[in-house]
Amino acid sequence: MSAQDTATAPASAERRRRFSVEGLTKVFSTEEGQVRAVDDVSFTIEGDTFFTMLGPSGCGKTTTLRMIAGLETISEGRILSDGADFSRMNAFERNIGMVFQSYALFPHMTVFENAAYGLRLRRAPQATVDASVKRILAMLQLDGLAHRYPADLSGGQQQRVSIARALVYEPGMLLLDEPLANLDAKLRVEMRDEIRRLQKALGVMALYVTHDQEEAMAVSDTIAVFSKGRLMQVGAPFEIYARPASLFVADFIGKANFLPLRGDGASAATRSGVAFSGLARRAAGSNEADWFGPEAQAMLMVRPERMSLTPKAATGAGTLSGTVRRIQFLGTFVRYLIEAPDADRPVLIDRPAFVDGVVEGSAVDFGFAPEDAVLFERPGR
Amino acid sequence: MSAVAGGNAPVRRRGPDLLPWVAGAITLIVLVGFLAYPILTTMANSFAPQGESFNWFNGTLANFERFWTSALYRSALWNTIVISVAVTVLSTLVAVPAAYFVARVDIPFKPLILSLSIIPLIAPPFIGAYSWVILLGRNGIVTHYVNQWLGLPMPPVYGYFGVIVAMVLSNFTYVFLFVQGALSASDPHLEESARVMGASRWRILRTVVLPLAIPPMLAGAMIVLIEALGEFGVPAVLGGEMYVLSTLMYFQINGFFNLNGAAAIALVNVAITLVAILFLLRINKRRRFVTLGSTTRRAALIRTPGMRIAANLYVWGLLFLAILPQLVIVFTSFSERWPGTLWPLQYGWSNYTYVFNRVVGPIQNSLILGAIATVACVVFGTLTGYVAERKSFAGKWALDLTIMLPFILPGIVTGVALLVTFNAGPIVLTGTAVIIVIGYFVRRMAYIYRSVVAAVAQVDPRMEEASTVAGATWGETMRKVTIPLIAPGILAGAIIVFTTLISEMSTTVMLYSARWKTISIAIYERLETQEISAAAAIGTITIVVTLVLVFSATKIIGKSMSDLFR
Repeated sequence: MSAQDTATAPASAERRRRFSVEGLTKVFSTEEGQVRAVDDVSFTIEGDTFFTMLGPSGCGKTTTLRMIAGLETISEGRILSDGADFSRMNAFERNIGMVFQSYALFPHMTVFENAAYGLRLRRAPQATVDASVKRILAMLQLDGLAHRYPADLSGGQQQRVSIARALVYEPGMLLLDEPLANLDAKLRVEMRDEIRRLQKALGVMALYVTHDQEEAMAVSDTIAVFSKGRLMQVGAPFEIYARPASLFVADFIGKANFLPLRGDGASAATRSGVAFSGLARRAAGSNEADWFGPEAQAMLMVRPERMSLTPKAATGAGTLSGTVRRIQFLGTFVRYLIEAPDADRPVLIDRPAFVDGVVEGSAVDFGFAPEDAVLFERPGR
Repeated sequence: MSAVAGGNAPVRRRGPDLLPWVAGAITLIVLVGFLAYPILTTMANSFAPQGESFNWFNGTLANFERFWTSALYRSALWNTIVISVAVTVLSTLVAVPAAYFVARVDIPFKPLILSLSIIPLIAPPFIGAYSWVILLGRNGIVTHYVNQWLGLPMPPVYGYFGVIVAMVLSNFTYVFLFVQGALSASDPHLEESARVMGASRWRILRTVVLPLAIPPMLAGAMIVLIEALGEFGVPAVLGGEMYVLSTLMYFQINGFFNLNGAAAIALVNVAITLVAILFLLRINKRRRFVTLGSTTRRAALIRTPGMRIAANLYVWGLLFLAILPQLVIVFTSFSERWPGTLWPLQYGWSNYTYVFNRVVGPIQNSLILGAIATVACVVFGTLTGYVAERKSFAGKWALDLTIMLPFILPGIVTGVALLVTFNAGPIVLTGTAVIIVIGYFVRRMAYIYRSVVAAVAQVDPRMEEASTVAGATWGETMRKVTIPLIAPGILAGAIIVFTTLISEMSTTVMLYSARWKTISIAIYERLETQEISAAAAIGTITIVVTLVLVFSATKIIGKSMSDLFR
């Protein structure tokens, strides 16, 4: 298929689009009063970026997507697409393609008519409809199914049809609302790669919503992490993993170990008195004070695969130590769960192989290189 | 990647999407104008002196005083209450055993039994009631044989006896279908666990099965009660000297054209209906069972010979009695000479020739008026049903209430309300076809509304959103996605509406005119001139047409006949 070839040179300069959301807010009125489901969210997407909104359920990501699609009214803020103000346009004028979790295929239309729907609404001539639908169905490997009805298709095929329906009229952007949530695990991995391949091949800007962080890391150019209606961090997958801007992001993306630190600045030390120097410092989110507990002034974050593990040495002063509670063999790595006085939760340490001389119940020392840790300072009150 | 083309053209820039607002506004105007306004006008005018319209200075209770002063009014009120309560209680007593037998005993032809059980509901107007005179009247067939063989006298058919028998046998079906449905769907685990704990069958019946059947039984009883409180045809034909509120209303209008008096009676009738509904809802509220089982397995059927014989005898006997009026009508329609003898002296097709030559007008009128009203019901019922299911807005309960009101308003009250409202004042419609269509529309829109609400609930809202995002206006989405998906539901509802309208009687008697007589009026007139066989021929045609239409509705939505009325 020629799609792969063109994927390298997708967007010519004139088609490079710019989409931005400015101060977007959604207020719902409920019996308990007003709820800010989306609170002052701003971001910009350019060209054929694959942009993912990631967060736990109820974090406002889907509401944001629906406001962009025009399916939900905007309480405050603006949505600009190449300078055009979406908030002044009807949903049906925004030239968007959208893929839903439930596929939302029209059960009374064939696969062909489902795919042709947007073109028919645009009054495209029959020859164009035939050619475009044929091409998009071929790209999604649906060639032989054009005259079937959705009820006769498997879940994966239905999802392909709904993607075809959303892309066939060359929308300005493609919105995907948890499109893989109804598929089984294996198919999910296949489909996410295919969605990205198609998106790059067609050079269409994509806005993807998911609560699955692995899925987000796998497909996205840029990830926007949401929590409680707020946008916590925007960045490339590596960036948000290695340099999380807040404790929430550190905790939500991947696994993280947190060690509370006492004292300020250079004198910061763990409960057992282990001190560190030369750490990257950053402030925790302004609403994250309750992560710290009464005594901690700062919180140290280290990823499990960045930690070292050795049997307990005779002289243990100045090192972190604890007891191995559980060893999990997880195929590509071995996970050690360690109970340590310096951490509130079990410390996770992932090693590529079993560590000699360490069994469940062993006393161990563990550590990390300073450049692999991030120090979050307690936010000012 | 040059072209997955066609969409590259800029999307048409259009103005704001006004259609939903326009559709909503028109519907609102129609509902307020033809439903809320007439009902309020009627309420107001019941407090105005006879022959006047209500204003803030002429308020009076004179129209209601007769309920204290006039023996006729007092007895009509009393009769209405006694008959309605008796009919409701007897219908329930008759129906529950039948429902239990059909649901739980191994007897053959159950689908046929269920289908036959709806035939009493489609009795043709007036002649259905009159068939009891043919059977139980002084020269009636049954009366004769009861006299001859048993030597027993029969009570006179005119009055309480005939009215109650006729109404019970045409209304028990509601309770029967509701209870039968609940009993055959309830979770067999409940009874099995009772049996495991050592309960006898009688004890299980008393402590498990019957209590579970009470909510559907009360729901069915409520419908019977509402029907009985508003019934016009049966007391009009079989009441004799005895009046009920509905016949009294008719008397006030046909005899004296006393609109204010009729409005007052209507108000009292509605008040009784509301009290009765609230009472039944209150009883039912205390019993909230969830009997949806975790299994689709049905309860085991009882197979003992004694029970099977009893069940067969009871169910078929009851069905025979209930369908008897229809059989009598068909039989009578073929009698050419029946001069007060026990059986007709001559049989033939002449009544049908007569009908097809002389009664064409009313049949045409019924079809035309019914069709127009059905179309109106479809248009507005669909719009309001859609809005009610999809949109949330303040005052939704008011919409619901307004639409469902005609369900509990007796048809004759709707007729009186329209007559009172459009007889004088800014819009005069009395005597036109329009007022009949409005009456039909107002009474039947709720059917379409309900089927549309149910159908729209089955359509994933994401489907409509997918259509919108793909570039469809609200109208385009409705036309291409929503309407095609809910069409079967609408069509089945429309057929039922049309069916009930071609034999509509209680609203029609208030609104018809010399130019616009319908099938019911034609039958009524033949009964008054003692052309019983001709009336029976018209009735037979109505029965056949109705059955064909109901049957086609079941084919369209793939439900059984009994499900359409459940």
